[in-house]
Amino acid sequence: MGKIVSIHSFRGGTGKSNAAANLAAQAALRGKRVGVVDTDIQSPGIHVLFGLDETNMGATLNDFLHGKCEIEDVAFSVGEKAADGEGRKKLAGKDLWLIPSSIRGREISRVIREGYDVNRLNEGLQNLIEKKKLDYLFIDTHPGLNEETLLSIAISDILLVILRPDNQDFQGTAVTVDIARSLDVTNLLLMVNKAVPNKYDYNDLKQQIEESYKAPLTGILPLNFDIADNASKDLFSLRFPDHPWSRELVKVAEAILAVE
Amino acid sequence: MTGIFDRLQTKIEDKNKQGGITALDLVDLSPSLRKIMRLMLRQIRMDYPQLCAAVDSLPEPERLSRADLDRSLETLTAQAWLTRLGEGARAVYKVNLRAKSGSSLASGIWASLDEKLKK
Repeated sequence: MGKIVSIHSFRGGTGKSNAAANLAAQAALRGKRVGVVDTDIQSPGIHVLFGLDETNMGATLNDFLHGKCEIEDVAFSVGEKAADGEGRKKLAGKDLWLIPSSIRGREISRVIREGYDVNRLNEGLQNLIEKKKLDYLFIDTHPGLNEETLLSIAISDILLVILRPDNQDFQGTAVTVDIARSLDVTNLLLMVNKAVPNKYDYNDLKQQIEESYKAPLTGILPLNFDIADNASKDLFSLRFPDHPWSRELVKVAEAILAVE
Repeated sequence: MTGIFDRLQTKIEDKNKQGGITALDLVDLSPSLRKIMRLMLRQIRMDYPQLCAAVDSLPEPERLSRADLDRSLETLTAQAWLTRLGEGARAVYKVNLRAKSGSSLASGIWASLDEKLKK
């Protein structure tokens, strides 16, 4: 059975979708069969990193949740259809599927207004793993703790919690870690993003975080303008593989792939 | 002919009957039941022999007796946290997750938003 990797952060703006997309891409580059699902139905965004917008998105997770199609109809083959950007073109022919959430205002308002069948969401994710023979399904979640994020934590084999070196993030991450432990998540990994360069002794930061949360810190990714300049137009770690951010992200990807 | 209040009442009653477990409810289960429920979330459906095998694979201190497993399945089914399809040894169980409820905002707000989004 393929592994479910939930990417979570207690607060917004940690770079969760950017990290999820790049981690999934790195796994696909290494020959894995990978799915990425955007369960941030209220504020979807990961599709942008794969070059999708309202005009070329096709069926969405919302269509599946409303019973309009099957989950495999939503799976957009990045390797076949979106290998266009300078970074993304490295994914040509790779087995990577994106399950986007709708970016249409009416669809977002409908799902907030009417709710949805959570059993259908869970069964859809499990069926997707089976039908696409996925090695990994990455779930990009809504920040904070709500029903969807708790479900994604409960069904995950690996939970990656992303935090910034910020006191609000530190406290919120403690809550997430507690909940994850209460739900028996066995493989809990941490990643620091947006660390101000030259401000911290990375070894010291790593030690402090690992002691605080009793979980391995898999990478410390620096804050920098190059990522901002990329503006989610492309997959940064594929476009700039030698960049310090990309090198740290690869470490995180390798830690995920190393989990038995 | 049913009136609007009858329909609303039915809707409220149906919602209450829906039940189902949330991920947070899993936290309150015993460690062994929580492990089985998590496994069922991944497997979608498990029959009784599969559940017995799952219980047998738990570490010794967490292992449930057959009687405890049977009682737990009865309780979880009665709470509508599990759905049982079929009876006896052929019964198949699946987790019943509580539906994500819709917004409680007045419907007029949504109608107004829909109108704006059409433009």
